[in-house]
Amino acid sequence: MFNKILIANRGEIAVRIIRACRELDIPAVALYSDADRHSLHVRYADEAYYLGPSKASESYLRGDKIIQLAQNCGADAIHPGYGFLAERADFSQACQDHGIIFIGPKPSSIAAMGDKQAARATVTAAGVPVVPGTEGQGNLPDEQLIALAPEIGFPLLIKPTAGGGGKGMREVQNLEVMPGLLEASRREAESSFGDGNIFLEKVIQGARHIEIQILADQQGNVIHLGERECSIQRRHQKLFEEAPSPFIGSDQELRERMGEVAVQAARSVDYINAGTIEFLMDEDKNYYFLEMNTRLQVEHPVTEEVTGIDIVKEQIRIAAGQPLLVKQEDISLTGWAMECRINAEDPYRGFLPSTGIITQSLLPAGPGVRVDAGIYSGYEISPYYDALIAKLIVHESSREKTIARMKRALEEYRVIGIRTNIPFHQNLLQNPDFLAGNFNTQFLQDVLPPLSAIHQDKTLSEIAALAATLAAHEQSQRSALEIQRSKRDVSNWKWVSRWEQTRE
Amino acid sequence: MEKYFAEIEGVEYQIEILSDNLVVINGAPYELNFQALRQHLSYSLLLEGKSYEINTYQDNGVWEVLLRGSQFSVQVEDERERRLRMAAGQASKEEGKIILQAPMPGLVIDIRIKEGQEVEEGDVLVILESMKMQNEITAPRAGRTTRIQAKVNEHVERKQVLLVLE
Repeated sequence: MFNKILIANRGEIAVRIIRACRELDIPAVALYSDADRHSLHVRYADEAYYLGPSKASESYLRGDKIIQLAQNCGADAIHPGYGFLAERADFSQACQDHGIIFIGPKPSSIAAMGDKQAARATVTAAGVPVVPGTEGQGNLPDEQLIALAPEIGFPLLIKPTAGGGGKGMREVQNLEVMPGLLEASRREAESSFGDGNIFLEKVIQGARHIEIQILADQQGNVIHLGERECSIQRRHQKLFEEAPSPFIGSDQELRERMGEVAVQAARSVDYINAGTIEFLMDEDKNYYFLEMNTRLQVEHPVTEEVTGIDIVKEQIRIAAGQPLLVKQEDISLTGWAMECRINAEDPYRGFLPSTGIITQSLLPAGPGVRVDAGIYSGYEISPYYDALIAKLIVHESSREKTIARMKRALEEYRVIGIRTNIPFHQNLLQNPDFLAGNFNTQFLQDVLPPLSAIHQDKTLSEIAALAATLAAHEQSQRSALEIQRSKRDVSNWKWVSRWEQTRE
Repeated sequence: MEKYFAEIEGVEYQIEILSDNLVVINGAPYELNFQALRQHLSYSLLLEGKSYEINTYQDNGVWEVLLRGSQFSVQVEDERERRLRMAAGQASKEEGKIILQAPMPGLVIDIRIKEGQEVEEGDVLVILESMKMQNEITAPRAGRTTRIQAKVNEHVERKQVLLVLE
């Protein structure tokens, strides 16, 4: 096992990885930018070192500095989390060159999945079509992308090569608007991942986004952990995930077939560690290979809940050269799990980011509730990093019961001082189509009625009006008391005794 | 007795506080018990036997209320504040100026209008990049832009004036 693991990330995922290190009894090293000195990952870690200014390009994207810090503190492994450097083959290579284990795939696998040729060839051979696009053709300049666009057909998507989380993605309806969108996409990709390379992909209408989690060890064992349903997306950013998929449900045969394809795709690039194969599935359950994410996913906890496997600990064990403890036949899905991504965004005002200080954070608790968060009372949300502040994960025996549990947990979770998208999730969880499992990636855009600030429940509005009034009244009473105190001409002690007498 | 006016999205509630345990909402009396918890951010309200836990804080003079997983923005004023606002409201309506501020710190990516241009309500005026996302700042109502203070590629702070609409 490792002597010390350095975590090249921040926020909730850094905390998640530190927790795994603790349970494995491996010291964890955190890094922080100017904005993150007070962050939880710094406080939870065994050691923490200053990385650089708040801008990601000057801190969490500085692979050279990170490797230097790892060497200085004697860390023999680096966990990249997701985002930032997680899918950068050059960083994985640099780790290797400096004798540090990168907890993730080999540089060659990241690169292979980066141009995606091998994986595409494999899934095609297995009889699975791939989503048409330019992904297999490397990094093309704008002129070539524009020339290829009509062949692929509109609408199409511009996606960053290093991407994830919907950042830098643009949907293109026609050729005229394309140059501007290409530019915007490259700029956003550059600032998010330090890599402005992009590719084109056809939009498959009405598709669901379903992905398979895989684990692969250095001994050549590759297994899959079933699927995750991630169709609830806003502007290609996932907001809600569940496992299993209500669309696959009890169709074990389909699950096994997709799992087998995922395992083959991973093998085709000699994949090692945790990875995810993403598919788009149409209404007739035809599925198309979309891409492979060569890293830990934000939504990995739903798979952990239904399989009982700690994916982060497995990542560390695999990177240390240990074989997988479980075989494919040992994997079974128990119950149902869901994850709500809690973002600092105002669902009543077009999901505008909300910044400021979280004055209070009251966590939900009770049976089957898990919160992976990087926030706390007093946490300041800075504009430098993404809006994900916490993930609320619940587990129960059936989909229906899991929804009831999630509604209960969302009600208990109170983040005060900023706006969050919790009301959005409440709204989603009561939609009849959602409850029936009847949705696809267009659901948020085309079907779900937007959240109205005018609340349906009149009684609740009245209670809210009353509560605000009582709080305002209480505040004015208190400040009146302050003024009274400063005005009084008698000694404090006399005043206190008089005041005491007036109380019961 | 104190009389208050609370407004949520255009619906007004008249609330009279008769004592610590008695209020009148829109003419109907209710018995209650209201307790502040934890630094006056959390409250427990027992209203005719029903229990509600409430979190509330003031943001820009508006009371933000979290209740049973929903968020409400409540404007609260007493009679005196109402009179003052009515008087001031008349004056500012004549000028009819809207000063558009940045809702969060970020980078100005694009300004979609020119000075003197007429805009409709909901038109995209400015694109502001924050938290790695590009956000559209739209016109709160129709009008004409008289002054644009932000520049493309400029870093703006929260509440910094972007432009003025008349």
